[in-house]
Amino acid sequence: MFAFIVRRLALSIPTLFGVLVVVFLLLYVAPGDPVQEMVGERADPETIARLRKELHLDEPLLKQFTLYTGGVLRGDFGNSYITQRPIIQDIRERFPKTLLLAGSAMLLASILGITLGVLSARNPGGWFDRLGLGVAYLGISFPVYWVGLILILVFAVILKWLPPSGYGGIKYLILPALALGSRSIAFLARVTRSSMLDVLGGDFVRTARAKGLKERVVVVRHALRNALIPIITVLGLDFGYYLTGSILTETIFSWPGLGRYVVNAITRRDLPAIQGSVLFLSVVFVLVNLLTDLAYAKADPRVAYS
Amino acid sequence: MRRLFLLVITAILGCGGGGESTPARKTIIDSRDTYDPRSLDPALSTDVPTGRAVAYVFDGLTRFTPDAKVVPGLAKSWDVSADGITYTFHLRTGVKFHDGRPFKASNVVSTFQRVLDPATKGGRGWPLYPIKGAEDYAASKAKTIAGMAAPDDSTVVITLKEPFSIFPKLLAMPVTSIIPDNPSADFGQKPIGTGPWKFVEWRHDDYLRFAKNPDYFDGAPKTDSLMARIIPEMSTATAEFEAGNVDVLNVPDEAGKSWQVDPEKKKLLTSAPALRFWYVAINTTRGPLSDVRVRQAINYAVDVNTMLAQVMAGRGAVANGVVPPSLGGYDASRKGYPHDVAKAKQLLAAAGHPTGIDVELWASTTDQSPRISQTIQANLAEAGIRAKIIQRDASSMREAARKGQTDLALKEWWADYPDAENFLYPLLHSKNKGVGGNVSFYSNPHFDALVDQAHREQDEAKRNSLYTQADQIEFNDAPMLYLFFYKDMYAVQPWIKGFTVPAVFNGQRWTDVTISK
Repeated sequence: MFAFIVRRLALSIPTLFGVLVVVFLLLYVAPGDPVQEMVGERADPETIARLRKELHLDEPLLKQFTLYTGGVLRGDFGNSYITQRPIIQDIRERFPKTLLLAGSAMLLASILGITLGVLSARNPGGWFDRLGLGVAYLGISFPVYWVGLILILVFAVILKWLPPSGYGGIKYLILPALALGSRSIAFLARVTRSSMLDVLGGDFVRTARAKGLKERVVVVRHALRNALIPIITVLGLDFGYYLTGSILTETIFSWPGLGRYVVNAITRRDLPAIQGSVLFLSVVFVLVNLLTDLAYAKADPRVAYS
Repeated sequence: MRRLFLLVITAILGCGGGGESTPARKTIIDSRDTYDPRSLDPALSTDVPTGRAVAYVFDGLTRFTPDAKVVPGLAKSWDVSADGITYTFHLRTGVKFHDGRPFKASNVVSTFQRVLDPATKGGRGWPLYPIKGAEDYAASKAKTIAGMAAPDDSTVVITLKEPFSIFPKLLAMPVTSIIPDNPSADFGQKPIGTGPWKFVEWRHDDYLRFAKNPDYFDGAPKTDSLMARIIPEMSTATAEFEAGNVDVLNVPDEAGKSWQVDPEKKKLLTSAPALRFWYVAINTTRGPLSDVRVRQAINYAVDVNTMLAQVMAGRGAVANGVVPPSLGGYDASRKGYPHDVAKAKQLLAAAGHPTGIDVELWASTTDQSPRISQTIQANLAEAGIRAKIIQRDASSMREAARKGQTDLALKEWWADYPDAENFLYPLLHSKNKGVGGNVSFYSNPHFDALVDQAHREQDEAKRNSLYTQADQIEFNDAPMLYLFFYKDMYAVQPWIKGFTVPAVFNGQRWTDVTISK
């Protein structure tokens, strides 16, 4: 297992280097210019030339790339062109907030989605199953900004139970987590249901029932455990996406996370900020995938890594 | 889709809410910033949220009032030499920075040097370029700014390259705000100024918090603290306003329409002409657009009145040149180009294009740009001008326009200071082609001469008359499609007293605003 982790991490290094090269080239060929963003709407060519020099943007591409990669290897992601703050500090400030939001959304989605799926599978075609199907359709069909704004409208403006937006205690977390998790709730419910249906028809379930086990034990301990693999896949994928910045949710709920940071960096062509965050997010993605793989082994002893 | 949704939201919001009770808080909460400020270092204030925050913490030698007057700031008065070259600023005495250090004349000199120093990487030295030797200093050709001297602690003498009568207005811009000596490396995070508000806290992408400066030389703010929330989404800001959590809202167009007919909401609305100008820069050097008749045809073809009413919810005034109605030099007698398709066709034919022309219309993806550009496209088509819309993000579009790669470019200009010069000079003077702001690449020596003359003219009435003449010349040349001067509409909570909509973005410093029943 340890060897497996080390090998996977070693293999991710070329991936990350590839990401670095692609992002660098992409930003180089993309239109827009960080210096023009810095100076605003009115400037003069001399100022622009001086800033380009100051930021080493007048150097050849290869030199720029070497300078940047050298910094990254020393653990220095550089400073933002626009704000002049260290990129590492910006990421350190925002990522925990994105992690909190993504984690809460996933927790909510797992609890609600899996419960909904299990209950639906117990009596396929029943009223609960049909209700679950309806909820799932709604959850999958509505875009997150729609769900977000409706939640704000209902719970913050009309009922006044929760604040509409911002970052703070748990009351600020509920609505964005629900909005972000809504798609996963729906998706998980459907995946859990079908996976459970497969398993519930199995011989070992009939045996468990014949032994006289309580239905709750049959469903949770015998069936659900065996139905987990596809559920973990969905959880892993969604979590990865959420961590890389739930841009729409963060925007609608004014959540100061990494997603908004990246979008702002892109609009302003803040090259070091874009490169730094993309690299960081790639590492996160690699780690989440690794964790998902490890979770498979935990869920199903037949899956072995060596 | 999004627009439809906004309509639904505002319709529903319109039904609920209202009749909020006065909150117990002693903090004014602003909701206008849509993105995180670049920094709180005045030298880096090249964007609106930064400029607003800098105006709270710092003072310049002069400052703007909400209604765009220029009044004394750290300078209590100034004298101008007869030739208009030498400005002697008499500074206030006894003013202290928030950390207790006294403000003195040498701070002005070192602040301006820092703004111009390339190592500051601010990028906005131009407001100081009128000073003799400023450009040499910025280019590292001189160790000091030749035209700046501080003969004693309360006097600053500034010598200009040539007479520039509106120079004091430029000193009210955020970038020329005065900072103390030896700013720390994280000055942009922990700013220290002389202004009415002391910096307290900055949570990035979340909010900025300020506390009143009880010793402010112009009288302490009337409220204890001020918070500027950063809310990227307009509908969210609207919801926060509805919930009573923010005090002032820059009302989105959709909400504005329905609130104006809602008897309760209507009472909260207040509006004022903003120094914001929507126009389409016509690149006067490209193909058929180099013919003035074609450019005029474009102006005749577009029905700006209907567009203003339908697309912009009537928020603005139709432009008849580049000088807005609230500024000196505006000519009320000049009428904008009327909507006259026949005339447009006739002009096109006269210019040798009886079958029309093909042009590219560049527009960004932000705000109202997509809707305005589509309306223009439809209008132009009626006159035989086939416009292809090129929609790009703001950064790509700006770069293309500055490089002269756009035929037509839909733009919005926010004034930095309240003077007609801030429209005529950057947008159309031949010195400013490209990055300077003149993306029409317009060049008319007669126009240039009038604007240059206005720069030197000390008499305001005569200067305004020069502006009017210059505006008329460029209007005839039609280097742009004149759209409208935007009108800001704000909603202000009933418990907020003393708020005025600022004409320039950094003109409202909240010092006279109170929270009361």
